[in-house]
Amino acid sequence: MISEIAKVGIDTPADTAMIDITESLRETVHNSPVVKGVVWVTTLHTTTGITVNEGLPDVEADLIAMLRRLAPTESSDYLHARWLPSDGAMAINSATHQRAAILGPQVAFPIDAGEIVLGSRQRVYFVELDGPLRRNYLTHILGE
Amino acid sequence: MIDFHTHLACVKEAVDPHPGLAEDCQRIFGMGPGWSMRTFLAAMDEAGIDKSVVLPIDCTSAHGGKVFSNEQVAQAVQDQPRLIGFASVDPNLPNAAAELERAVRELGLRGLKLDPALQGFDPGDRSVYPVYEKAAELDIPMVIHAGLSWAPLGRSANANPLALESVAHDIPELRFCIAHFGFPWVREALLLALRFPQVYLDTAVIYSGSPAEALDRVVKIDVGYDVVRRSLRNQIVFASNTPRIRPKRMAYAVQALGFDQELYHNITHANAVRLLGGKEEQ
Repeated sequence: MISEIAKVGIDTPADTAMIDITESLRETVHNSPVVKGVVWVTTLHTTTGITVNEGLPDVEADLIAMLRRLAPTESSDYLHARWLPSDGAMAINSATHQRAAILGPQVAFPIDAGEIVLGSRQRVYFVELDGPLRRNYLTHILGE
Repeated sequence: MIDFHTHLACVKEAVDPHPGLAEDCQRIFGMGPGWSMRTFLAAMDEAGIDKSVVLPIDCTSAHGGKVFSNEQVAQAVQDQPRLIGFASVDPNLPNAAAELERAVRELGLRGLKLDPALQGFDPGDRSVYPVYEKAAELDIPMVIHAGLSWAPLGRSANANPLALESVAHDIPELRFCIAHFGFPWVREALLLALRFPQVYLDTAVIYSGSPAEALDRVVKIDVGYDVVRRSLRNQIVFASNTPRIRPKRMAYAVQALGFDQELYHNITHANAVRLLGGKEEQ
């Protein structure tokens, strides 16, 4: 059984951004010795998400709008809007945590014949929800 | 837009070259490096900020260290035209005024930062006057911390802005900015700004809630929206206190107040230029 874990760094460009990482992922799987297996993509942050959808700008825009509608940036209801001593900074990003929870931190796809198996319209996105920042995600390939 | 209150304690390229600085930043300021300079500048871009004033704090006598020395600030801003470096001196030390002059004339720093909560001095005490007078002589502005100090070693009791009334009266040539609207002593800070046109207030209000909520409460309840519009148009400067918050959130907070276009421009740019002595474009 082969197990390969790689950390990928990315400088996100804006407060909210859907960053298409499909080709990078495809190349990572292609370059791996695994012929049959699975690949996980996992973010290492709590205000980012990993998601899959159709690679169209209006779809991306609608997804971001949905996240903002479901978890508005400002709300007097949020408890997570206070000084956080461990950070030495204000913790005032409840909405971005909620958006990350909606998206989830991970996706997984099968590997067959040494390639990632994706639907024809599926694109894998690293979603920045509280940028711009230096972020990291993992790819984990497991198989034979 | 000019951000009049930021700190480089979070920037690895600024901190890492200097042994012991990361530890002093964490111990005194409560935060160490975690961002790159690229991220710091990208955060400015996201907020629509063109230039940021970066503020050190000299805590030599109070805590045996500095949150950036003047040399370290000068080095950090040397290749960063978007950053405006200020100096800090320890008012408890006899050479403070001379060090300020050196920092300005030799290192090219463009203002003074003092923090009575962290530096352990009474801002109204006449023993500090040589530093204030030197700043006035050098025609540089001063940013002085007032109110709530989030620094782990800070003593907010030293930072009631009312202590600066005598300074404003006795040294009218000194342009100074009371940070954080002096929260929670907002009305004391307001008193000074109303009385003295050379006194400014910065918007870095963070205590609980989002910056939009906090600033809204301070402006509309503690100060009065009409008071800002009528009497403080030329005396408020945009400030985020990065990295205590992300600057985009303070930029949104100021936008959300819904000031008229001229007042918004004053707060985000024109007042800062005047406070800098009209030399921002040089």
